[in-house]
Amino acid sequence: MKEYSIIGKPTPNVDGPAKVTGEAAYSIDITLPNMLYGKLLRSPYPHAKILSIDTSKAEELPGVKCVITGKDTPGGKWGLWRRFRELADQQALATDKVRFIGDPVAAVAASTEEIAEKALDLIEVEYEPLPAVYDPIEAIKDDAPMVHDDFPSNINATRHIEWGDVDKGFAEADYVREDRYVIEAAHPCAMEVHNSVASYDKGTGRLTVWTSTGSPYFVQQNIAEALKLREGDVRVIKPHVGGHYGGKNSTMPDAVNAAILSMKTGKPVKIVFNRDEEFTTTEHRTAQHMALKIGLKKDGTIVAFEAKAITNGGAFTGLGATTLFLTGTFITMPYRIPNYRYDGVRAYTNIVWGTSIRGFGAVPSKYCAETQLDRAAKDLGIDPLEIRRKNAVAPGYEAPGQYKFESCGIQACIEKMAVRVKEKWPNVEKDEGIGYCGFAYMSGGIFNWIDTPYAYSSAHVKVNWDGTVDLYSQAADVGQGHNTVAAMICAEELGIGIEDIRLHMGDTAHAYTDLGAWGSRETLMNGNAIKDAAGQIKQKLIDLARLKLGENIAYDLVARNKRIYLELRPERGLSYYDLVKDAIRANDGVPLTGTGHYTPHNKGMISPAYGMGIMAIKAKVDRETGHVTAQDVLVVHDSGQIINPLGARGQVEGSIHMGLGYGLCEEMPMDQGMLLNPEFVDYKILRTRDMPEIEILDVPTYEPNGPFGAKEAAEATIAPAAPALANAVYQACGAEFFSNVLKPEKVLKAIREKEKKDKESAKSKAPSKAKGK
Amino acid sequence: MKRELNIVVNGESYNFFIEPKTLLVQVLREMLGLRGTHQACDSSSCAACTVIVDGKAVKSCSILALQVNGKQVTTIEGLADGTNLHPIQQAFIDNWAFQCGFCTSGQIMGAKAFLDENPNPTREEIQAAMDGHLCRCTGYNMINEAIRDAAKRLQALEAAKKVPAQRAPQVQKWMQTAKSGKGAA
Amino acid sequence: MPNYRCPMCRKICSEHLDLARHYLGQTDKKHKDWLKTQGLSYAALIKAQVTEFGNKGYQALADVLKKTAAEVNEG
Repeated sequence: MKEYSIIGKPTPNVDGPAKVTGEAAYSIDITLPNMLYGKLLRSPYPHAKILSIDTSKAEELPGVKCVITGKDTPGGKWGLWRRFRELADQQALATDKVRFIGDPVAAVAASTEEIAEKALDLIEVEYEPLPAVYDPIEAIKDDAPMVHDDFPSNINATRHIEWGDVDKGFAEADYVREDRYVIEAAHPCAMEVHNSVASYDKGTGRLTVWTSTGSPYFVQQNIAEALKLREGDVRVIKPHVGGHYGGKNSTMPDAVNAAILSMKTGKPVKIVFNRDEEFTTTEHRTAQHMALKIGLKKDGTIVAFEAKAITNGGAFTGLGATTLFLTGTFITMPYRIPNYRYDGVRAYTNIVWGTSIRGFGAVPSKYCAETQLDRAAKDLGIDPLEIRRKNAVAPGYEAPGQYKFESCGIQACIEKMAVRVKEKWPNVEKDEGIGYCGFAYMSGGIFNWIDTPYAYSSAHVKVNWDGTVDLYSQAADVGQGHNTVAAMICAEELGIGIEDIRLHMGDTAHAYTDLGAWGSRETLMNGNAIKDAAGQIKQKLIDLARLKLGENIAYDLVARNKRIYLELRPERGLSYYDLVKDAIRANDGVPLTGTGHYTPHNKGMISPAYGMGIMAIKAKVDRETGHVTAQDVLVVHDSGQIINPLGARGQVEGSIHMGLGYGLCEEMPMDQGMLLNPEFVDYKILRTRDMPEIEILDVPTYEPNGPFGAKEAAEATIAPAAPALANAVYQACGAEFFSNVLKPEKVLKAIREKEKKDKESAKSKAPSKAKGK
Repeated sequence: MKRELNIVVNGESYNFFIEPKTLLVQVLREMLGLRGTHQACDSSSCAACTVIVDGKAVKSCSILALQVNGKQVTTIEGLADGTNLHPIQQAFIDNWAFQCGFCTSGQIMGAKAFLDENPNPTREEIQAAMDGHLCRCTGYNMINEAIRDAAKRLQALEAAKKVPAQRAPQVQKWMQTAKSGKGAA
Repeated sequence: MPNYRCPMCRKICSEHLDLARHYLGQTDKKHKDWLKTQGLSYAALIKAQVTEFGNKGYQALADVLKKTAAEVNEG
C-alpha cells in the first residue's frame, strides 16, 4: 500500500474544538430576530377522512400569528422517488385524509413554543375513521383498505432480480432448505430530533432553511416542489447535525411547514419535534417478512438461492423503494451465487414509513441469509467459517447485470479471521458460542430515482494568494467525519496541510451539488469530486514549476509537504506558496480554481465499489433467564485505503452498537398503528456497560474507483452484528431464531423448542426395548 | 407569579425573575444563550443536558432552575480556560470520542464531575459512572478511552504542580534584589 | 429468430418470460389496464410472484403473452 502524507494517518476531527466546547451550532440552536415557534397538530387516527377543521379558536389565542391547514398550503407533493411522479406522495399537511397516527393536519406559528402548543389544543378536527391496515401481508390482500388511491392492493413498489436458472440450480442441489422470518422495525434514534428554521424574504421571494438533514440538496428539491418555488430560490443550510443514520433523508413536515408559515407571516419560523414525535412520526428501519430458499452441494457450495420479501412500507415512499431493491442485492453478498432470484414488494400501510436507515437493504436481509447459512452448515457437517470461505467471492466477481467487485479482499479477510479467532478465543466455555457473518456494502448508489440532472457530487476549490484554500461542496458531515475526510483529500492532493483549508460545506448556495450522506457515498463520490478539483489546481502548479525549473521533461513532479518537486530528486523543487503567487500573477490576478465532479458510469446497477469483510461475535447465553451477552467482537474489514483510521474506527464501533441493539433490544411494538414506546425510557438502545470490546483488523486493498483507493468504511459493519450474535447463540445451544430481537423470553422459548426437538429426535432413534429377557 | 433566581454560571453572577416551572436547561439555553448544553429526550433518559452544580453532575432538564438558587453552575462553555481546552476536552479530540457531537457536552461534563471524585478509575468504574449517558454514534468504547486518557493527563498535571519549579539562576538573582528593595520598580 | 413485442410499449424480448418480467416492472395505468382485459390483475400476479418460491406470477403472464404478444422478426 502506498504511503501518503495525510491519507491513512490518524487525524483529529476538524470540527473537534467546536464540538467539545459547545460552540458547534446545530439547527436546533439557531435563533433569529423576530423568530416565531411552530408546532404541528397530528392525527390520532391511523386512517381517517378529514371532514372539517375549525382553527378559529386557535387563531384568537393571544400570541398566535398564523394557523394553516392543508388547503392553505401551495399543495405541491414531493418525494425522493420523483422519477415516478405517482411515488412523490408526501405533502406538507394532509388534505383529504390522514394515513398514519401522527400525520400532520394543521400547523401553528406563535410567539412562544408554549403558546403554539396551547393553540394546537384549540383546533377542532372532525374525522371519519376508516378501516386501517398495519401488516404488509394483510395490506396486499384484495379487500385491504387502500392507503393511497391508484395503488390497488397497496402495492407501492416491486423489484425482481434474477440471474442464472434458479429452478435448475435447486434441482441439482444436494441439500435444500427454506426458512421464513418476521423482521422487526427499529428507529435510528438520532440524539438531535428533526427540526428546522425557515426564513422567507418577501422582497426577493427567496427562502432560506436551516435544517437537521443528511442532504441539503434533497431538502432544496423537495421544498421547491412542495412550495412551487424555483429550486434556485430555496437555500438550504445544513449546520452541524446531531445524528442522521439515514433517518433524515426524506424532507419532513417540520422543514416544509416552517417554510410555509414563514412565507405567510413574513417572519422566521422554527419547528422542533419533541422526542415522542421523533419516535412516532419520523422514518424508521422497515419491518418485513422474508422467505429464503437455499440450495447447496454436499461440500457446502451454494448452487441456488431464492429470496422473497414483503416489506412494511408505511404511509409514504421516502427512500423505502430503494431499500426494497437493495434488500435483493446485499442479501447475496459476499458470496458466489450462480443462480439467483429475488422478488420484493413494498406495501403501503397505515404506519409511519420505513426507509433508508443505516445499512439499508442489508440489515434485515443479512440477518435472514446468514442465520440460514449457519443451519445449512450444521446440517452438512461443515464449519461455519469454512462454508463462508468456500463461497466467498474473488476480485473481479460479477453478479450478472447487477454488480461487480473490483477491489475485493473478502478471502483475505476470512483467512485473517481464521487465524485471529484461534488466538483470541482458543477456548469456548459451556453456553458460549462464536457466530460469524460475512458482509459487503455499497460506496454510494448508482441509481437515480431522485431524478437529479446534476453530477452526483461536485466540489470547487479556490487557492488564495497566501496559499490558503477554500473548499466548497454541498456534501454533508452528519457526524461520520466527512468534513475531516474532505480536508484530508484536498490537502493530500495539493500537498499542503489540513490547517491551510477552510471548509464551506452543506449549503446549497455553494451550488456544487452533492446528493448527501446516505449509502456511504461521501468518501468515494465527494472525495472523487474534491480530488478532481484539487487535481486541476495541482496540475497548473506542476506546469508552472516545470517551466520555472527547466528540468528534463522525463522527470515527474509531485506536490507534497508544501512543495512541488521532482519525485526522483526531491531537493530540486519550489515552494507551494511561491508557485501560487506566481500562478495568480500569471492569471491576471485571478485565484487558482478547480471544479471537480463525479458520477459513476458503467458500474452496474448498485455501486462503483463495495466495502466488505467478516465479523465474529463471542456470546454467552444464560439458559435460566434467556439473557444473551455479547462478550467480544472481532471484525476483519476491507475498506480499501482507509482515509482516516480514527474516523473509520469510530464508524465501525458505532455501527456495531446499532447492529447489536437491533439484535438484542430495539423494537417498535405497535397497537393499532400506535407506537407503544416513543421515549428512550422504553425504546432501549445499548448503553456503555452493554458494549463489548471490539477488535478491528484491516485488510487494505486498492479500490480503483475511489479517491486514493478508498471506499466505504462502516455502513457495512452494521448488518453482520445481529446475525453473528444469533449465530453465536445457535452455536452455543442450538436455539434457532426467525426474528431479529433476541429478547430473553424469545431466547428461552427457542431453547425449549430445541430441547423438545432433541428429545423427539432421540426418541425416534432409540431402539425399542425387548420385553422380558 | 415570577420568583427571583440568583445563580453563578461559569463564574458570572446572574439575577432573573422567572416562572417557578422554568427548568435549569431553559435558563441556560434560552435566557443565557448557552446553547452548548443540549436536550435529546423528554424523559430524563439520556443525560445529554448534564451540567455541574456545586461539583455534582446534574441533568439540567430534570431540575427546576429555582432548585439551584444560590449555587454555582458550570456548563460546557465554562470548561476551557480561554483558548486552552480542558484536558478532558483535548482527550476527547485526540481519542475521536465524539462524532455528531450532540451528546458530547453532557458526556464531558459528566466525565469531569466523575474524575473530580475518582481521579484514577478503572474501565468498569468509568462504564458504571457514564452509563446514564446515551450516545448513538460512537458505541461508547472510544469515549471510555478518552476518559481514561483524560484521567492520566489530569494526574500528570496534578503531579507537576507538586514539584516546585526550579528558578533559573538569573531569576534567583532578580528575586534577591526584589527582597532587599534594590531595583524594585 | 423471433422476438416478441410488449402489447403496451416498444419493448422487445426474445423470451416470453423476459417479456413478462419487463411487463410487471411497468407501473403505469396503461400497462395495468391491459392486464384486466386479459382477465388478469397486476396485484394478483405480483402477489403470486412474491408469496411463493418459483416464478408463478411471471409464468402466468408469460403464458398469456405467448398467445397475445406480437412476433417481431429481426431483419
